[in-house]
Amino acid sequence: MADEVVEKVRELLEGQIDFEGQRLAELMQYAFLTTVGAIAFIYGYVTQNVYNSAYIGLGGTALTMLLVVPPWPFFNKHPVRWLSPHIGASPISISVDGKKMS
Amino acid sequence: MHSALVRLQNVFGFFTTVASCIAILIAFSSFTSPQTPSASLKLRNVQVVKGRPHYYSSKKEEYAHIKFDLDTDLSSLFNWNTKQVFLYIKATYPPTSPSEPRTEAILWDAILAGPIQPPHHNHWDPHASTKSRRSKSPPKSPSTKPPGIFKLANQRPKYQITDPSGRIAAQANATLELAWNVQPWVGALTWSRDADFGVWKKLKGGRTKAFTFPALKEKGEGLGTAKGGEGNRGKPA
Repeated sequence: MADEVVEKVRELLEGQIDFEGQRLAELMQYAFLTTVGAIAFIYGYVTQNVYNSAYIGLGGTALTMLLVVPPWPFFNKHPVRWLSPHIGASPISISVDGKKMS
Repeated sequence: MHSALVRLQNVFGFFTTVASCIAILIAFSSFTSPQTPSASLKLRNVQVVKGRPHYYSSKKEEYAHIKFDLDTDLSSLFNWNTKQVFLYIKATYPPTSPSEPRTEAILWDAILAGPIQPPHHNHWDPHASTKSRRSKSPPKSPSTKPPGIFKLANQRPKYQITDPSGRIAAQANATLELAWNVQPWVGALTWSRDADFGVWKKLKGGRTKAFTFPALKEKGEGLGTAKGGEGNRGKPA
């Protein structure tokens, strides 16, 4: 019981995502932060106030972190399918130095 | 990007890259904003008196007390990246040996805050009345007039100037000049120049005709014992 809870917490903190999710996370990071930077500069220039640039830049970065860092379900849509342990038993035979391995 | 910590590090790392790129853009955007400063600076009155640097000093020096009129339009120095402008008036006169640059001494300065600067007691608001400037009340919100346009008549100097030698009376061929630093939010500190730089025009006017410091005033006349500028340092004009 206690082990299960510890395992849950560990998983949540580690926040592992699948390979497709990693590709998506990286793409989101670059796309969002670049857009936020561009908007920050343009909005600050239009309103003639550098504070606006700073606030938009920081706020947009916080939002990006919120979207990219936690292991959201959409990062785990393509879990890796491992071969089941039973398959190895019958059709595939592995031999090492002429000896058959089970 | 497999774990949350790695993603956090990656996002933060790319954020620093984006932030520095934006900062560089902002810094360079200053150079695209035209500057057309103009000023008219006139000498009102000069007096030279004997004084000492501070109360307990036994050293006697000559101090020049220079009053001036200033009428400026420096509003084009305030672009979106201007934090504040440090404005000063310097008196320059020929050095003792011709190989050296002209001697310069600052007699008045002020910090002009940009439009989005929060109020601070070090800022100088040319449109505030003298009375409210002297009162100890907290600074009010900046006036709505564009910063950098103001007029001073018969303005007293903030610092009474002297020469390293202690003698300044009868010094010939002196002029007053207006100069400034533009302090940006992001980017390099820029100084007033003698030449145009891109869309930044040099200051139009802002220089008095050459004048000669008068002879020393006799004791018991005029200003009494002059006080060196140390006491004024860091205070608004």
